[in-house]
Amino acid sequence: MQVRWLIPVGVGAASVVQVAHATQYLTVEQAQRAAYPQATAFVSVRADFDPATVGAPAAWSPHVWQARKGDESLGWFFADAVIGKSELINYSLSVDVHCAVTALEVLEYREAHGGEVRLAPWRKQFVGKTSHDPVTLSQDIKNISGATLSCRHLTEGVRRLLKLHERVLAKAAE
Amino acid sequence: MSVQRARPVLGTLVQMRVEGLGEAAALRAIEVAFAEVTAVHRCMSFHEPLSDLSRLHRAPAGTSVPVDARTRDVLVCAREVAAASAGVFDPTIAASQVARGWLPQPRSAFTPDPCANWRDIELHDDARVRLRRPLWIDLGGIAKGYAVDRAVEILLEAGAPQGCVNAGGDLRVFGPRAERIHLRTAAGYLPTLELADAAVAGSNSAGHVHGRTRAAARAGASVGVVAPSCMLADALTKVVLAAGAAGSAAVLARFGAQACAFDDASGWRVAA
Repeated sequence: MQVRWLIPVGVGAASVVQVAHATQYLTVEQAQRAAYPQATAFVSVRADFDPATVGAPAAWSPHVWQARKGDESLGWFFADAVIGKSELINYSLSVDVHCAVTALEVLEYREAHGGEVRLAPWRKQFVGKTSHDPVTLSQDIKNISGATLSCRHLTEGVRRLLKLHERVLAKAAE
Repeated sequence: MSVQRARPVLGTLVQMRVEGLGEAAALRAIEVAFAEVTAVHRCMSFHEPLSDLSRLHRAPAGTSVPVDARTRDVLVCAREVAAASAGVFDPTIAASQVARGWLPQPRSAFTPDPCANWRDIELHDDARVRLRRPLWIDLGGIAKGYAVDRAVEILLEAGAPQGCVNAGGDLRVFGPRAERIHLRTAAGYLPTLELADAAVAGSNSAGHVHGRTRAAARAGASVGVVAPSCMLADALTKVVLAAGAAGSAAVLARFGAQACAFDDASGWRVAA
């Protein structure tokens, strides 16, 4: 175990800076390949439906693909986004031909968290480092302990996609 | 090559990063690690009706109940931290948390004894557990850290030389290269530390009670604990929240841990 604390000492009056943090785990294409390794094509599907019928806001328009191997349907692939607590979560859901969820992946996670970080301590924590070790947020904030994320909206998002699948796509495929 | 995945498990976003393995091997290892995290959750959830805890709470008081070896591991560690902290950390505080509305009322065969404590959890070698007095166990303060440790062990066994598993407030890095970690709290302050082969857990006072007095932890307090394992770091945050960084020095030293605590007067202070 090796530990080095780089914490600010004595937090005083300070101005406020916004810290944003984004991590991309998978692109849509990578997630598709991971979910359906045997697929030969992903056909984009326009689902005609009234969002209200699945309990979604009017502007909701998830991306939908059908995974195919030749003429055979392997299942469905959805890409959608939800707001967590204050962070945007892009995620994908895969549903097989038996209507079972086979994968749920977070594709990208972005936050502009309510997140004011007080400027002075924020700077001070890099004292002795800043000049030789320029700190880029995107690289340095990959490890945040205490990221309070609400997964509730993600669960709701999945529920909406499953309703969409059940009411529109599964029926159309029959 | 670095492979990262994130999935919602344990009521939070669990992130795993593996470096130094081929993509296919990294993905296989991450898949197994996520399955293990889910299994730990199933065993030790307070809410899930089929978890080991729910089965213990449903069984008549005094009967011995077989539990998963992992649940036993966590109970062993919970008792060690409870003993070392003279009960400041106590996994049997669930009744106080239910009474405050922080945990849901479990389906239970008994009413918990207000005098019961961690000493009333009897562990047998064959992974059977017996409650000497009626009590409810909550492993919320330690099982998430254990899940992170199990995931890290799986990634290490798969040959990953470097990586990180992060379950919200509980994070462990492995490998020779030190990584920079930001602790975030509701206050928005971000203490930073560099860790190699170590775990850190962040916690605030919301939802925590002192194990011995069963009083709610002082509101607005935030702590971070660094320890060799994430399970220890997780459990020790509860000790530091209840007893303060100075009051926890002996317990922290016993487990080779360090803590930082925040309060309005002095900002962040390290107790190492």
